Amino acid sequence: MIKVDKVSRNYIAGESVVKALKKVSLEVGDGEFMSIAGPSGSGKTTLLNLIGCIDSLDEGEILINGQQVTKMNKKEKTEFRRNNLGFIFQTYNLIPVLSAYENVAFVLSILNVPEQEIRERTYAVLKEVGLEGMENRRPSRLSGGQQQRIAIARALVKNPQIILADEPTANLDSKTGEEILKLMKKMNEKYHTTFIFSTHDQMVMDYASRLVLLHDGNIVSDERR
Amino acid sequence: MKFIITLAFKNLSRYKRRTSITAVAIAVGLMMYLLVDSILIGAENESMRNLRWYETASARIHAPSYWEDRMLFPMESSIENPDAVLALLDENGWKATARTVFTADMILYSEDFGEDGNMNVLVTAIDPETDNDVFHFSDTLIDGRFLEKGDENGILIGSWFAEDINAKVGYWITLVARGNGGFYEAMDMQIVGILNCPNPNVNRTLLMMDKDTAGYYLGMNQAVTEIDVLLPEHEDIDVEMAKIQAKIEASHLDLEVHSWKELAKDYLAIAEAKRGGTSMILFLVFIIAAVGISNTMLMAMYERTRELGMMRAMGMSDNNIRLAFLIEAGGIGFIGAVFGIVLGLLANLYMVNVGIDFGWMMRDLDMGYRIQSVFRGAWSMSSFIEAFVAGIGLSMIVAWIPISRALKMDIPSCLRHQ
Ligand SMILES: Nc1ncnc2c1ncn2[C@@H]1O[C@H](COP(=O)(O)OP(=O)(O)OP(=O)(O)O)[C@@H](O)[C@H]1O
Ligand SMILES: [Mg+2]
Repeated sequence: MIKVDKVSRNYIAGESVVKALKKVSLEVGDGEFMSIAGPSGSGKTTLLNLIGCIDSLDEGEILINGQQVTKMNKKEKTEFRRNNLGFIFQTYNLIPVLSAYENVAFVLSILNVPEQEIRERTYAVLKEVGLEGMENRRPSRLSGGQQQRIAIARALVKNPQIILADEPTANLDSKTGEEILKLMKKMNEKYHTTFIFSTHDQMVMDYASRLVLLHDGNIVSDERR
Repeated sequence: MKFIITLAFKNLSRYKRRTSITAVAIAVGLMMYLLVDSILIGAENESMRNLRWYETASARIHAPSYWEDRMLFPMESSIENPDAVLALLDENGWKATARTVFTADMILYSEDFGEDGNMNVLVTAIDPETDNDVFHFSDTLIDGRFLEKGDENGILIGSWFAEDINAKVGYWITLVARGNGGFYEAMDMQIVGILNCPNPNVNRTLLMMDKDTAGYYLGMNQAVTEIDVLLPEHEDIDVEMAKIQAKIEASHLDLEVHSWKELAKDYLAIAEAKRGGTSMILFLVFIIAAVGISNTMLMAMYERTRELGMMRAMGMSDNNIRLAFLIEAGGIGFIGAVFGIVLGLLANLYMVNVGIDFGWMMRDLDMGYRIQSVFRGAWSMSSFIEAFVAGIGLSMIVAWIPISRALKMDIPSCLRHQ
């Protein structure tokens, strides 16, 4: 369970202070499939980064499974992310010199999983996201949708508790985007992994079982469906 | 760990052009270093050999009072009984020869030289029978003949000296020197041979005559100013010196021994300074490698900022990321070092076997080196190893800075990077 408690995040841009999040509070249960929506600059990325332990806040605190992640030092945060969090990015962020297989397997190798197990799990997850037979291809030889599938496999392979996705479909056409979302939903149901993703896209919001709307650093609506 | 290495090597092949250019810069730098190092070692070895062969021998025995006044070539401080010393050395298996060195006024006549003139000179009086056991002058004769035992008028001259004063074989000169008793004596001498001594300092000034003739004119009474000793090349000079000293003391001879290192202190000081020059070159190589590698790594880091953010978000530790980039930089250094060594080997092959002719420069310029014309390189295993290790090591050290800078950036900024 994730508990965001009166979190504020200010950015200093030259003379002015941008209040990206203003005392935002939010609870996310295990296995939720939640979308964060809102106009550009409303604070979606900021909120995801804070939950993802890659940014630091100015006020409030965030607890994940009762652990005060915001109080952790850099090293503890790195370790926490390594063990518990998966990320999916708008721009995929795959390593172009590595094959699909290697792009996924590296997540397990930094967790010191034995070689044999890495192989089994990586092949299995690539099959699951529909990339069977393409394990040895480099990202440049795959379509955007296929690349994002690698990214999903990469996020899933370690069986994290939470996967955070900042606009995962923004670089894809609507049909491919929908396929990606279906895949995410399927994984959410199968593995009970919590998914939190941000979007501008109405279609994507429609897939979410919970929709949080941000506006100017405030949560303006929070509905489950 | 395996992943880190895989990543490093795959990234190495990612920017082939940039990797090659950087590696070439490192290779050229290392080759330059190896070349300069080789010339300096070669020149030093040859200089030291030419010092011993034509100037100092391995060691020199003097009367105790001689050393202090050696710049004045004091004939009063001579070795009274050279035969006893020579016999003692011979008994113990050391080759040696006696010499008398004195200053004189040399008078030139217009019949031979075109105009009258005179100049201060240093004359070395040798024993023609044994001098070549210790020194190597007889091999350097280019005109006329060598001295003979008891040669009454014959004198040899260095070829550069001969050129300077326009001397030819057959010309007559007169030497006026202050003898042992304080009187002045004139010696009429004929140039019988010209020696082209590879040691430029000697070739510029050499005048050589028979020791007995000089001894007779100067009233030396068998005495000589020095006894020069040849020690085997491979022996430890200090150990041998101590042995000679012990023998001399045991025989109650009141004499001193000086090694060629003491005799050539000025030269060795110069050589030391020259070695400083190598470090300059090494520094230059360092700069080339540093600029090349840091620039390459900086660009690599810049282009991969988002990847870096991804890896960090995924929980890869900074140390592992740094390691991956360091291995990558070390890989570039390795390629550069391998090519540098190969280029260095080829260039050095030429330097060792052919060398570079600096004769045009050495004729008029005293650089301290005892080499007349061709500078040859020398092989130095340790320099090659040094260059190899330095190529890789420097690359990694220099890469450290851009890597650390990239790791200081916060993760959201990395991920936002275009
Ligand atoms: N590093 C930063 N420095 C200064 N201001 C920032 C920084 N990051 C974000 N901001 C500001 O904070 C506010 C919220 O930004 P954020 O990126 O969270 O919005 P967003 O909802 O993700 O927008 P978008 O839909 O465009 O991605 C914006 O006004 C933005 O300009
Ligand atoms: Mg955003």
